[in-house]
Amino acid sequence: MSETNEHLDKLMQELRRGTLTIGVLSQLYEPQYGYSLVASLEEKDFQVEAGTLYPLLRRLEKQGLLVSEWDTNETRPRKYYLLSESGKEVFEQLVVEWKDMVNRLDNLLINKGGS
Amino acid sequence: MESIERYVHAVTHLLPQSQREDIAKELRGLIEDMLDERVQDGNATKKDVEEVLLELGEPRKLANKYRGTNRYLIGPELFDHYIMVLKIVLIATSAVIGVSFIIEIIMDPPSILQAFISFIVSVVTGLPMAFAWTTFAFASLQFWGNKQLKVVDLQLNSDWKPSDLPPIPHPKGQVKKGEAITGIVFYIICITFFVFSSDYFGIWVFDDGKFKEVVHFFNEQYIGYCMLFIFLIFGFGIIKECLKLVHGRWTMQLVLFTAVVNIFSIIGLMIVIAEPLIWNPNFITQLVESGLLAVDSESFQTLSVIWEQATKWLLIIFLFTLIWDIIDGYIRVRKSK
Repeated sequence: MSETNEHLDKLMQELRRGTLTIGVLSQLYEPQYGYSLVASLEEKDFQVEAGTLYPLLRRLEKQGLLVSEWDTNETRPRKYYLLSESGKEVFEQLVVEWKDMVNRLDNLLINKGGS
Repeated sequence: MESIERYVHAVTHLLPQSQREDIAKELRGLIEDMLDERVQDGNATKKDVEEVLLELGEPRKLANKYRGTNRYLIGPELFDHYIMVLKIVLIATSAVIGVSFIIEIIMDPPSILQAFISFIVSVVTGLPMAFAWTTFAFASLQFWGNKQLKVVDLQLNSDWKPSDLPPIPHPKGQVKKGEAITGIVFYIICITFFVFSSDYFGIWVFDDGKFKEVVHFFNEQYIGYCMLFIFLIFGFGIIKECLKLVHGRWTMQLVLFTAVVNIFSIIGLMIVIAEPLIWNPNFITQLVESGLLAVDSESFQTLSVIWEQATKWLLIIFLFTLIWDIIDGYIRVRKSK
């Protein structure tokens, strides 16, 4: 039984990793800093660890999908991230692909058994 | 709050210098935000800090996530080649050490203990050194050539067509790995031999079972000149064997390359052997002086003739092997079609 759980865990991890990027990009039409993003995602029932999100934000910035800016006016300096122009484009494409994928998969799940 | 700084340092010192400061600043902010959420009045205890750091997880894992790629000395794209070259280098080094040991024993049987000690020393120092240098070469290639490697990899993937698939090699056209490696080892031993023991090329004179001197085949003054050709010939030989290993099968290009290398070798050999300066002009007289040969004896006559003929026959034997090498390759290619 525990072995099944292990496999399930791994598969879920892979699934989450793929969807995480879409989820994160979707929230960055307005500038957010890392921790506020964790909170707002959590509020919407989308769990993500800060230790995963922070490196991801940096990677997306390096790829040019996000732009960032340090805000040093507040009590502590915070790095705000925002979708870049190409980021918006990529995100919109991703949403189309994602919906497509959901539809196709749903189709498979309805017709399971190969009938 | 010392543990926060220690945590931030533990993460950032594993990251590239250029990103450290920025990530440290961001991490500090994150930890403080997480503390604020836990503690409303703004007085975080040591225990709170500990819990937050535990939530963030092991610094090494976090640093890995920031880096995005795993770190390795020699990556998967080079590993197969690395192992192959390592095998060849280690076999060749062992062979050289072994051969020198045997030579030393033959040269000077009474000091076998000393020879054995130096043999052990060579094994203990030489093999790790060969290992280290090979690894170092590949690690540098990985480190400096990383970007180019990735580009090559991508190009290979995008341009690939099924028609690029190599034909399944006919058993007769396959290059036997063992043969090629033996060849490389043989060449390396030859080079070491020539470089380090050119003094011993000749007829060994023993006196009462003890080694006395060597009557040289080669003219000592011109041995350096000879060495250059030997280096070139054996060096090309090694390249040839390496190409065989890489190709894995006999192809027309390989035969052509073999032909070019061998023809160069033949020309080189002809120059070396035909050049009278190379050979020891006093070979016969020195033999007489060493007491092995008596002037006017029958064996003296025979030996003089042999010595004169030797150069000619040596050339013919070499010519034959090198030409046969080309023909053999050609036949294999023809048969495998």
